[in-house]
Amino acid sequence: MGLVARAIEAAGIPTVTLSVVRSMTEATPAPRNVLVRFRLGQVFGEPHNVAQQQAVLRAALDALGTIETPGGVVELPYRWRREEYPPPVGVRA
Amino acid sequence: MSRWRNRLLSKVYTRFPALSERYGRRSGSFDDIPLPSLASPVRSLPEASVAVVTAGGVHLAEQAPFDMNDPEGDGSFRSVPRQTRQADLRITHDYYDHTAADEDVNCVLPLDRLEELSRAGVIGRVAPRHVGMMGHLTGAQLGRLVDRSTVEITRLLEEDGVDVVVAVPG
Repeated sequence: MGLVARAIEAAGIPTVTLSVVRSMTEATPAPRNVLVRFRLGQVFGEPHNVAQQQAVLRAALDALGTIETPGGVVELPYRWRREEYPPPVGVRA
Repeated sequence: MSRWRNRLLSKVYTRFPALSERYGRRSGSFDDIPLPSLASPVRSLPEASVAVVTAGGVHLAEQAPFDMNDPEGDGSFRSVPRQTRQADLRITHDYYDHTAADEDVNCVLPLDRLEELSRAGVIGRVAPRHVGMMGHLTGAQLGRLVDRSTVEITRLLEEDGVDVVVAVPG
């Protein structure tokens, strides 16, 4: 994933790359990396957990403004279910 | 015939994240594309068009599935239109346990979450096309990704006027 993000970033489009495997991120860092301690295949969280998925996505987007050096890493504090996620925004009633 | 073995291994890796860490250390680094300097955002996030590139093996049901028989993987990609319904998507990827993403594709391709952020004004809009691909590539298929797919993916994003890309592993 790091390589694809590098190519896109090199073309001038800002990228942020999520990861659940620290060693892979360290071996081939993307331009901006966001580590979350979730399972493979559930990077944004549990199925249908809108608040959790939004929280991870918003944190990733926030990293666009906070990572200032190529290959920089932000580690998210989320602990899967043992977490109070903020109420989701933009959800249709 | 090794597909069942890969699927079984993917479930083990998902259960025991420490094994994935070992795999990551063993797989070494890929420097075919150097780490570039950071691109400057053209638009602020509340005005930006956001696309997702996922290595979760997501594609449309009508598109050819990723090739699971080549031991080097499949370095091609599929474009997924913005408003595709979950029922019209498939995940073909034996190297991670996608049970959760089969139930809710937002686990690896969060298009519904992006729509909500767009509605709430956190982002400007959801890009018209997104990208599904695979990780776990080696040899000629890694070359195919680096030499061809990344060029074509970048062109697709540029054609759509994408301002920000969220890249997601499987």
